[in-house]
Amino acid sequence: MRLFNTKKPVAARAEGRVEAVAKVTGSGKYAAEYEVKNVCYGVLAVSAVAAGSIKSIDLSKAKQVEGVLDIITHEHKPLVPGMADEAKIKETRFGLPIFHTDKIYFRGQPIALVIADTLENATYAASLIDAEYNTEKANVDFESTHPGVKLSSAGKEKGTLDAWSGAAHIVEAEYNVQAEVHNPMEMHATIAHWTADDKLVLYDKNQGVNNVQRVFARLFNIPPQNIEVSSEFVGGGFGSGLRVWPHALASVMAAKQVKRPVKVVLTRPQMFSLTGYRPAAWQKVKLGADNNGKFVGILHQSKNNTSKYETFSEGITRITRMVYNFDNLKTEQATVPLHLSTPTWMRGPGDCTGAFALECAIDELSHKMQVDPLELRMKNLAVTTDPESGKPWSTNFVNECVEKGAAMINWKERKQVPGTLTDGEWKIGYGMGIGMWGAGRGNASAGISMQKDGTITVKTAMTDIGTGTGTAIQNITHSSTGVAKNKIKIELGHSDFPATGSQGGSTGLSSISGAVSAVCDALKQKLATYALVQKEVYKNAALPDILLSETGVSYKTNNNEFVSYADIWKKNNLTTVDVEASSGPGEERQKYAFCSSAVHFCRVKVNIKTGKVKIDRMVSVADGGRIVNEKPAANQISGAVVGGIGMALMEEQLADKNLGNLVGNDLAGYHFAVNADAPVIEVAFINKTDPNINPSGAKGLGEVGIIGSAAAIANAIFNATGKRLRDLPITPDKVLA
Amino acid sequence: MKPFTFSKPENLGKALSIKKDTVQFIAGGTNLLDLMKKNIAGPDAVLDITTALSSKIEQQGKGVRIGAMVRNSAITTDKTILSKYPLVAKAVLAGASPQIRNMASTAGNLLQRTRCPYFYDITTPCNKRKPGSGCSAINGENRMNAIVGYNEQCVAVHPSDLCVALAALDATVATTDKNKKQLSIPFKDFHKLPGDTPQLDNNLPANAIITSVDIAENPFSKNFYYLKLRDRDSYAFALVSVAAALHLQDNHIADARLASGGVAHKPWRWYEAEQYLKGKAPSASTFSAAADIVIKDVKPLSNNGFKKSMLRGAVETALQNCLTA
Repeated sequence: MRLFNTKKPVAARAEGRVEAVAKVTGSGKYAAEYEVKNVCYGVLAVSAVAAGSIKSIDLSKAKQVEGVLDIITHEHKPLVPGMADEAKIKETRFGLPIFHTDKIYFRGQPIALVIADTLENATYAASLIDAEYNTEKANVDFESTHPGVKLSSAGKEKGTLDAWSGAAHIVEAEYNVQAEVHNPMEMHATIAHWTADDKLVLYDKNQGVNNVQRVFARLFNIPPQNIEVSSEFVGGGFGSGLRVWPHALASVMAAKQVKRPVKVVLTRPQMFSLTGYRPAAWQKVKLGADNNGKFVGILHQSKNNTSKYETFSEGITRITRMVYNFDNLKTEQATVPLHLSTPTWMRGPGDCTGAFALECAIDELSHKMQVDPLELRMKNLAVTTDPESGKPWSTNFVNECVEKGAAMINWKERKQVPGTLTDGEWKIGYGMGIGMWGAGRGNASAGISMQKDGTITVKTAMTDIGTGTGTAIQNITHSSTGVAKNKIKIELGHSDFPATGSQGGSTGLSSISGAVSAVCDALKQKLATYALVQKEVYKNAALPDILLSETGVSYKTNNNEFVSYADIWKKNNLTTVDVEASSGPGEERQKYAFCSSAVHFCRVKVNIKTGKVKIDRMVSVADGGRIVNEKPAANQISGAVVGGIGMALMEEQLADKNLGNLVGNDLAGYHFAVNADAPVIEVAFINKTDPNINPSGAKGLGEVGIIGSAAAIANAIFNATGKRLRDLPITPDKVLA
Repeated sequence: MKPFTFSKPENLGKALSIKKDTVQFIAGGTNLLDLMKKNIAGPDAVLDITTALSSKIEQQGKGVRIGAMVRNSAITTDKTILSKYPLVAKAVLAGASPQIRNMASTAGNLLQRTRCPYFYDITTPCNKRKPGSGCSAINGENRMNAIVGYNEQCVAVHPSDLCVALAALDATVATTDKNKKQLSIPFKDFHKLPGDTPQLDNNLPANAIITSVDIAENPFSKNFYYLKLRDRDSYAFALVSVAAALHLQDNHIADARLASGGVAHKPWRWYEAEQYLKGKAPSASTFSAAADIVIKDVKPLSNNGFKKSMLRGAVETALQNCLTA
């Protein structure tokens, strides 16, 4: 992978991940891999219709299967207090009231959970469950339903539509994105174990153990601290682990029912309907500019599908209120309830879909005006002030991303007239798209435990879903304390550890870095206090003057003031030194607006006879503040861009309009891009510290890698062929049409 | 998955003596396991025939005999295949993934079942899975489905790439049954159209087994191409594929073969276009005219009209690549 501009190595040296050995050797345990004594297995049986209610369920055949312990249905279950009635169901905000209703909201909805001594027996028994339904007409047709749904305002309108109705250049078009499914490699899984009537232990795949605690505390009306959640290793999330899904509750109910630990692992087809997805979306963008290329107005409307039992709004038009200056701006949104399961956040939620329409519309406008789309964007970027809040950006280097990326892909080779560059039957085109994401920060806590031999363990409840959080924590700890990296152990993803928010929305590193810096300071302060017993100089010593080495504490570089850990431990009669600290956003949020950004450039080759699209080059330059560790950071961007290639060219979860079933819900039927479908993703960073966001100066990078990337590809296809393809994914049939 | 017994008969005779409708042979298992896990196949017993069948590629007269148990990946590295029947290797490499090719057998490749998404979802009607229940695909999401040879009973396509090359090269399928009755079935007759029995994919006699696939000597080792167009390059079934092979003599086409996958219930030969090509000089206009012949009788479904223009482009491109690639 060609990752960095090696001439000027400004970021920390690229290095291996703290969890690499555990992952490669298999010693790291994922949720379903924990060995729990006396565990039994739960397998879901799901609805074969998409709308109506359950008339009857025939369990007779299933019950005859050897090893079946019990079968939970809506008629036979331990009552979950948080689902006792309609009001409680609303209040707990769980979503699908699994096994607490006879209503069917979507095809694939769980109707029973078979609990058996082995996975094989439970699986076979679940296949023998027959249900009869009062079937109602299902509607899963987003395309024909959304026109009937009224839009409502999404954010404050700026100016008026009339003010730019006579603009010199106006484009207006509709854009569609099909539903997409996260499909992390690891299946969602939960092992639930009630160790007492009100004490629950969970091994669960998720992106935030404290959130899981809170959800089950609400559902079972027990204190969150009675619920222990382990999620030490997580095999990908992409947003699908930010909620607690029905199967997790099913396993907890089952464990209560059979008074044994119960493990539930979803099957791959169940992953398509029971852990959320990016909803299908329709958008319309009307965009105007004056003769100088100044954007004078925009109207951005969007609708996305939701389920019949819950509303999920993507926030698709948010991106339009953030990247560029518009004199007049109006954004509207709506949700369209269908007989499908509830969608959820999927990498770059909302903005990813919104940026596709916005960045294509800008490309359309530039074509109409016969100007370079890069220059048109540069004229209108809001680089000093956040248009939405009016606050100055703390840092915003999106313009530098544009310049650097343009140089890397050699943008000047691009021809303004589409279809100009050819190579035999292949047409060559260049395109770009901008991604931006609000750089957030949440409250987080971390703890350090130090041993006499100078080794330390940093602990936090935050998970590492593959982003490199643990490695970044080690880097920050090393630079804050001076303790050698091989003496720093990282422990993550357990609810007994200091609490944090979930790892989502690109807030993981931004939030935890502050807590890690704070706890490192706390450790130094505490060691200085202990050292004071021997050396007076540590009284009122400033933090930067307290230095930790392999063997002890020093005051500045004065060897005479050195106190060994052995002495500290002995004189103070210690076993371990334990500190904990919290940190979170403060008044800087009142003063500044924060954003991360990425600019994507693409060169495609399109075969006009076969419709085949080859991504020839993909360049992505990101502003993520200070880059704490280049390797996982570049990994985040390149992985997200591969997701963007999938979004642009192949990902679509279709539902059959007559039957209401998801079509091809497995990894042969649902296509997403893998490494073999992507070129080398050329990633670069601006790598300038954001001095206000948090002590590390790093801004989140998880989302911006995908936002705008599909637009870059669609715009490149237009530049190659002159075909403006506004419906994702751009499969070969659309190129040929 | 339904419980089943598992055994490994020491030889073919033993395997055939146990075989009946509720007993299933397993070789690579790359399709059968999917079918069992999805409750489409539910045998009472599974017989592992991996050691009972030949895994050799050997000279057979002037042609080649590919043992039923030869793994797909072995075909792609065999010297005889690469020098004399390279179209076959190229087709195999276009299919599946390296992991699957390492497991999948030659005979199993012929016997794999359609990838129509409704066939794999047992909660939907499907005449191939449950005769008489109806076809969900014909009015459903059918962009992957057939454009020729289908009827209202079934619009599924055969998913193999290997079989398209074997059809183009007029291979034969050698089979035997428990009475040691041997049958050699021409490839064009091995797979069938849905007709009134869409549940049957081929004409393999009941409870018989494939022992080898044989290819006669042919002049198509120099100018050939296999073009597979799909939604994802790394791993996907064909939207349309084309096996093209030309026998060129004195700058004219002495013989031509043209077959497609992703278009019908069986690997499909374009005989009329082949006939047209014979005797012509190879040129862009000749290939374009052949492509027009190919598409003149195709009848796309509600959702796969694009396959017509895609097929036309694929035929042209594949024929062109016979000269240059």
